[in-house]
Amino acid sequence: ADAAHSTAQNTFLISLYGLVQGVGFRPFVYQMANQFGIKGQINNSSQGVKIWFNGSKETAKSFYERILSDAPKLSKIIDSNIQIIDYQNFNCFEIIESYSTEKISLLLTPDFAMCHECLTELHDPQNRRFHYPFITCTHCGPRYSIITKLPYDRLHTTMQGFVMCEACEREYSSPTDSRFYAQTIACPTCGPQLKWHIIADGNVVKSTELNDYRWILSRINRMLVSGRILAVKGIGGYLLICDATNETTIQILRARKHRPTKPFAVLYPNLRMLQEDTFVSDFEARELQSEVAPIVLLKKRKKEFEQVAKTINTNLTHLGVMLPYSPLLEIIASNFGKPLVATSGNISGNPIVFEDDKALVDLAQIADFIVTNDRKIVVPQDDSVVRFTKKYGQKIMIRRSRGELLNLNTEKKSEKIFISFGASLKSTFTVLIGENLYVSQYLGDLESYETQENFEKNLNHFIDIFNFSLENIMIFCDSHEGYFSTQLANILVKKNKIPLQKIQHHEAHFTAVLAENGLIENKERVLGVIWDGTGYGTDGNMWGGEFFINHQRFHFEYFDAILGDKMPREPRISALSLTYYLAGFEEITKSKFTAQEWNIYQKILANNSLKTSSVGRIFDGVASLLGLSETQTFDGEAAMQLEELAENYFQEYGYDFPESYLSESFNDVPTRLIIRGILIDIQIEKSKEFIAAKFHYSLIKSIEIIAQKMNTKQIAFSGGVFQNAVLVDLIIHHLAEKFELFFHKRLSPNDENISYGQMVLGMNKYKNL
Amino acid sequence: LGHGSGGVLTNRLLESGVFSLLKNPLLDTHHDGAVFELSGNLAFSTDSYVISPVFFPGGNIGELAVNGTVNDLAMCGAIPRYLSLSFIIEEGLPISEFWEILVSIKNSAECADVQIVTGDTKVVEKGKGDKIFINTSGIGQVHPKAHISSKNIKVGDKIIVSGNVATHGIAIMSVREGLDFETTIISDTTNLNHTVKALLDDFGADIHLLRDPTRGGVATVLNEIAKDCGFGINISQNQIPVLEQVFGACEILGLDPLYVANEGIFMAIVAAEIADNFVKKLSEFDNGTDAAIIGEVVLEHPKQVILTSKIGGKRVVNMLVGEQLPRIC
Ligand SMILES: [Fe+3]
Ligand SMILES: [Mg+2]
Ligand SMILES: [Zn+2]
Ligand SMILES: [Zn+2]
Repeated sequence: ADAAHSTAQNTFLISLYGLVQGVGFRPFVYQMANQFGIKGQINNSSQGVKIWFNGSKETAKSFYERILSDAPKLSKIIDSNIQIIDYQNFNCFEIIESYSTEKISLLLTPDFAMCHECLTELHDPQNRRFHYPFITCTHCGPRYSIITKLPYDRLHTTMQGFVMCEACEREYSSPTDSRFYAQTIACPTCGPQLKWHIIADGNVVKSTELNDYRWILSRINRMLVSGRILAVKGIGGYLLICDATNETTIQILRARKHRPTKPFAVLYPNLRMLQEDTFVSDFEARELQSEVAPIVLLKKRKKEFEQVAKTINTNLTHLGVMLPYSPLLEIIASNFGKPLVATSGNISGNPIVFEDDKALVDLAQIADFIVTNDRKIVVPQDDSVVRFTKKYGQKIMIRRSRGELLNLNTEKKSEKIFISFGASLKSTFTVLIGENLYVSQYLGDLESYETQENFEKNLNHFIDIFNFSLENIMIFCDSHEGYFSTQLANILVKKNKIPLQKIQHHEAHFTAVLAENGLIENKERVLGVIWDGTGYGTDGNMWGGEFFINHQRFHFEYFDAILGDKMPREPRISALSLTYYLAGFEEITKSKFTAQEWNIYQKILANNSLKTSSVGRIFDGVASLLGLSETQTFDGEAAMQLEELAENYFQEYGYDFPESYLSESFNDVPTRLIIRGILIDIQIEKSKEFIAAKFHYSLIKSIEIIAQKMNTKQIAFSGGVFQNAVLVDLIIHHLAEKFELFFHKRLSPNDENISYGQMVLGMNKYKNL
Repeated sequence: LGHGSGGVLTNRLLESGVFSLLKNPLLDTHHDGAVFELSGNLAFSTDSYVISPVFFPGGNIGELAVNGTVNDLAMCGAIPRYLSLSFIIEEGLPISEFWEILVSIKNSAECADVQIVTGDTKVVEKGKGDKIFINTSGIGQVHPKAHISSKNIKVGDKIIVSGNVATHGIAIMSVREGLDFETTIISDTTNLNHTVKALLDDFGADIHLLRDPTRGGVATVLNEIAKDCGFGINISQNQIPVLEQVFGACEILGLDPLYVANEGIFMAIVAAEIADNFVKKLSEFDNGTDAAIIGEVVLEHPKQVILTSKIGGKRVVNMLVGEQLPRIC
């Protein structure tokens, strides 16, 4: 081997790691090899992509470099190498069968929104896939939602039962075709089909024999026009779809779904129509049309005639919108030509329905018609939700799910497998295998039994596809004993006799934002501002307004936490608790309660010992004091209304604000001083917008004062409160010059990031246990 | 011990014969213990009663102490016969209150048809107790037809509650916390042994389990049953009988009625075939008019209790851990 000349032929092996499967990598390399005149082989393995080929050292080098530089845009190579191996003979370049080994090291490929080429074909009457709702190519279509095993290959997806027809087979094996080696390839002849079910009184009364997709698509449209509600199987699960401009239909949907006020997401046929109704910035437009295609929260335009029914987002000026991301949604939306409600198909509180059998029972309680199809979904996912701040365009993840799989590569290799169980209301889990860390999609509120089942199912799916057992593992969970995730962790630990460590909620939030910004090593110098609704604190109180720096903790001055989960559901109770020790303002709070409630709650407050520092509850309380919301039917309702008020003010008068409710020095943030200021402003009849804005600004001041006192230059933010876009804009406006600011990037600031924080913190602390 | 002045209870006063009120042949023998003969399988149970306030709407600690142990015996499928009765009294308890408690004890014992055959009283210094603590122990004869064991529980068995849930706990709480609800909620502490006996006469071994959902409420008992038998339990929110004003009080207090303590009701797990007749029979008794089938034993979700809510969502009914801390973030 040492005698080899640079022109001599060697056999090389290129290994590529990361997100390299299901993104058109093999066809891409195949075409590249043909350009280079290279002979060899390529396949998907349990550890990525492997390429064996013959060539001179020079050819190999430039071939390798071209692969890295021109890699398909949806791929993400996190590691690669090239080596010389024993000489082999190749006759041509070919794609060979995938193989799986015991050890799996792969980043998972998310589901991709329909690409532009497929869109064009979909609307081309000459094309053989004209209006075929399952058109895909190597660059788009479902991936994660349909995989049963790794490595990624048709046989390991729920497409495996569909035998390619001749025409598809031809495209699949033709290197110049856009569907060359496209694992999800399908057409009307050989691919998945829609099925139409008619519902009456909560039962399926007829499932039609005729499953012609064109006939069904036309039925769908006619039923939508006549104000009916449809449950349609999509990528991550069933969506409930109906006319978003029809007030009566919306009321029927709300009643059947037992969802009185929580906003519905709206699907627009195209960007142009969306722009007529809402303000869309460039980055918002880009996000909506990206391969993720999430729901984006946009501000509605004030118009004389509003297309979208008012009750879709009662009391709010923001609307969650999306553009069609799958061929089926594209045809439905473009046929209908007006905005449609497109909301997760579930019984309120339960996870999204993704199995046909269940849909025909559960969703029959809500929908008039159900459209199933025979492409099975393996992993259910809701639509992801994001928003951007108005002034600085900072992206905030609200719900990370379809299209937003989070796989991270860590440098810390570990022999042990770690699982962290996250929080409760916005549950996720995180798994660390070797050097790869996977944060599950949003799994919902574990209060629901079916969500718990779904949580376990998803975890088992991970265990299956990564092929590990529950023996040599370690588990992290929250320290709140009442969390269902904690209880699930306890059960697993008992059953399998494995170690468990509890991680404090806000420490997990802090670690999550630090880790996302690569700051774990200099944790000591960063001020962590961790504000949320509730987390179990080390002193037994409910934390939620925390500042961490260099092992010190500051917090919002405690107030009473009473009545369990009733308090977060009813902002008026936060108002009551916050004003409890403030004399002279009773009339403002008293009117929110019956005399009986008032008497009872006074007594409860007098005997209460559980305290909280929750900024989430402070938002609730202030919203209630301003008369915005006394009881809320969904999480964050009151806070969002308060935020919108403040936004109106800042939009009109700019983001500078003359005064805050705080005095210049304090140890813990004087919660009651702020509330007192607000009460006085209410009494002297300052405008609600002004008070909301001043309250927001006071929060910024509290951060600045503590940061300056602690002499830090870096501040990191986590916790559900930072879903508030106005707050984030204000932070940037007032603090970016003096401090380096760190926000969550791909994770949501809310409890979805807890499992990730638990993992990083736990792994660093307890690696050797 | 200081002498109590004016109607306040002291040791000396007690010596003058506390138990004279409860006179019966076995108690009169002045032995250190009672001697009697009993045949068949016996059940034996004890409980201490520590409750604040001692007097509450619908009852007091005395009848609670008798009924509690009587009902514990009944839940074993036994017919209660003899009770022991011990007091630990904090100095300063008004004698009038003590007499009221004693009278209640006497009446409850008569009602339940049990004899108090041995007893004891101690007085402790002020501050070392909380007015009065009572311990009762009881012996009963197991009903010849009874075959009560969680091992008998089968998939398909029905779960029955004999009356309204959460009433007692809310009644106690409203007095203790000084919470005034518009309508007075009255605790229904009562003996269940006659009702249970009649049910055993009719249904015998088809009654698989009997439990009284006292502390920790219905939720806790259901969880214990699920763990013991290894099956799952489904219950339906629609079927659970709760008085409207109790439900309203729970709403105001942010409490789940399933976790609130009960007195005077029991839960039964019975064979599916007899469930309807069981409820029918129960409703013939004063303390069974609100009886209802609330759920069943299932094969799915072993050891877990799942509640189907009024709007069709399903929720796990867990064992209560500590106090109910808020979870919502
Ligand atoms: Fe949190
Ligand atoms: Mg007992
Ligand atoms: Zn495509
Ligand atoms: Zn085909």
